[in-house]
Amino acid sequence: MNDLAVFFLHGLAYAGLLFLVSSGLTLVFGMMNVLNFAHASFYMLGAYFALAIAQYTGSFWLTLVVAPLLLLVLGAVVERFLLRKVHVLGHVHELLLTFGLAYIIQEGVKWIWGNNPQAVSIGGFLASSVNLGGIVYPVYRLFIFALSAVLGLGMALVIYKTRIGIIVRAAVNDSAMVNALGINVPYVFMGVFAVGAALSGLAGATAGPLLGVFPGMAGAILVDAFVVIVVGGMGSLGGAVLASFIIGQLQSFGVLLFPNFSLALIYMLMALVLVLKPEGLFGEKS
Amino acid sequence: MKTLRPQIMAWVIAAVLALLAAPYLLPPYQLRLVTEAVIFSLYAVSYNLLLGYAGLLSFGHAMFFGVGAFTTAVALNQIGGLSIMAAVGLATLATLLVGLVVGLLLLRVKGTPFALLTLAFNALFFAIGVKWHTVTGGDDGLNIALPKLNLGLAVLDPGNGPDIYYLTLIILGGALLFCWRFTRTAMGHSVLLLRENEERMRFLGYNTNITRLILFVFTGALAGLAGSFYTILNSFVSLDAVSIDMTTKVLLMTFLGGTGTFLGPVLGSFFYTYVQDFLSNLTDNWPLIMGVIFIVMVMFAPGGLSGLGQTLAARLARAKTTP
Repeated sequence: MNDLAVFFLHGLAYAGLLFLVSSGLTLVFGMMNVLNFAHASFYMLGAYFALAIAQYTGSFWLTLVVAPLLLLVLGAVVERFLLRKVHVLGHVHELLLTFGLAYIIQEGVKWIWGNNPQAVSIGGFLASSVNLGGIVYPVYRLFIFALSAVLGLGMALVIYKTRIGIIVRAAVNDSAMVNALGINVPYVFMGVFAVGAALSGLAGATAGPLLGVFPGMAGAILVDAFVVIVVGGMGSLGGAVLASFIIGQLQSFGVLLFPNFSLALIYMLMALVLVLKPEGLFGEKS
Repeated sequence: MKTLRPQIMAWVIAAVLALLAAPYLLPPYQLRLVTEAVIFSLYAVSYNLLLGYAGLLSFGHAMFFGVGAFTTAVALNQIGGLSIMAAVGLATLATLLVGLVVGLLLLRVKGTPFALLTLAFNALFFAIGVKWHTVTGGDDGLNIALPKLNLGLAVLDPGNGPDIYYLTLIILGGALLFCWRFTRTAMGHSVLLLRENEERMRFLGYNTNITRLILFVFTGALAGLAGSFYTILNSFVSLDAVSIDMTTKVLLMTFLGGTGTFLGPVLGSFFYTYVQDFLSNLTDNWPLIMGVIFIVMVMFAPGGLSGLGQTLAARLARAKTTP
């Protein structure tokens, strides 16, 4: 029984990370119909920036602030000076551009930091464990889940309760119409893209101490994030929450039940959704 | 597709003659590069039939290349007395079946979700390669002993540079010709229609899903054939053959050469093979440079090298007519 609870909590922590990565991905896709293959590379960059900052300053908390900020700027630059330029050439070119960018970031990271996995150490309270009614559980995993839950709630508040949120939702629905109403959609899009990059970077910075920092980490989470937005429905934030939870749990219990085939569970889920509801759980029929 | 202009035809004939004479002109290392470029040409042309002709952007072409490469190695290792050509045939058949199963699932979605899912499936095939190490050799890869190929008149030794070169040139060159023919059949034309206006195509009574599936399976089998020769050339196969990097490679080759023409990807694969050879002598970070070249091309030369060539030719022609 205790084992099950532990694996459930493990699943929650991973679901938190997945949600931070996939929420930006799904919103950007919903707005501009651009799937950003480099999104997981922002996650990886977040982890490496955090590693560098932690090594330089010795403060883990600082990494959680500075790494996302750097990614915010990088995201804005990528959108403004690269993605927007190829927008006129069509979707295929946008996808190719983000794919090429992911490739460059991957190779750049290998060049600067090498191929070996690196560990980020967290000190103090975060590195300790707490007793949750008989289960001794590491604080850090709980912290990751709490952080993503708080950010998820904050995001929901912004998106469903503020004017900016209304504009973003409207732009996800019909960006041409929003543009016609006098709102600067490219500007909004740049903002969403940058915030998505920052969230992804934050996820990377928090993932570093848990999963290690290595050049393959982008590819590892990219596939999971893709499964999240396919299962949840592309462009749906609620879908991303539910699918992140399901896939986090599948990952976690998959390792417990079928150590060698845990990956297969996720693909089986995806295949099932594709056959029964190709638009995803919360997706709209196109 | 319009017929070839005479100048282009002359270039093609000259290129074919040069290819046939290559073993007498080139040192062994250079010949090996050309063999590799021919293999990648088929891989890239098959990819371009999806991307350039049908407008289907796939990030999973390496799963076919890899299945072909691994089936060849496993078949030659496990089945005693199997000839190379039988192994190549088996590999192509296996890829055909994989393409059919994957295609039936993936082609339920279109556009961006399709691109995303192809990448996810490529990752799945890579993971299978890692986990199933009793068969695939896992991270170590598989060495194979290549049997000689008895053709009756002559015995080919696949370990010998010129022999494997001619074998590759004839079989894969034949496959390339077949692709060229295919683009000019009714089926090949309907593929273009798929790219231009699928809705209209359906109105005209075509079953677009079947067209797409046939094309997907066909191009997959061609990639498998290329992968099979890749294994034979190296007499070794590793997980590299089924990795996302192998998908990136075909994407770079196809796009660098240009998606707008049939021969663009051939140009691209030769360009890529030689630039890689050149850069990897200078620096270990050649993929980074390749990636930057790719991004610059995507942003400023979306037609690739052949697109640049066409623009240049058009400009020259205009300069001639307007003195």
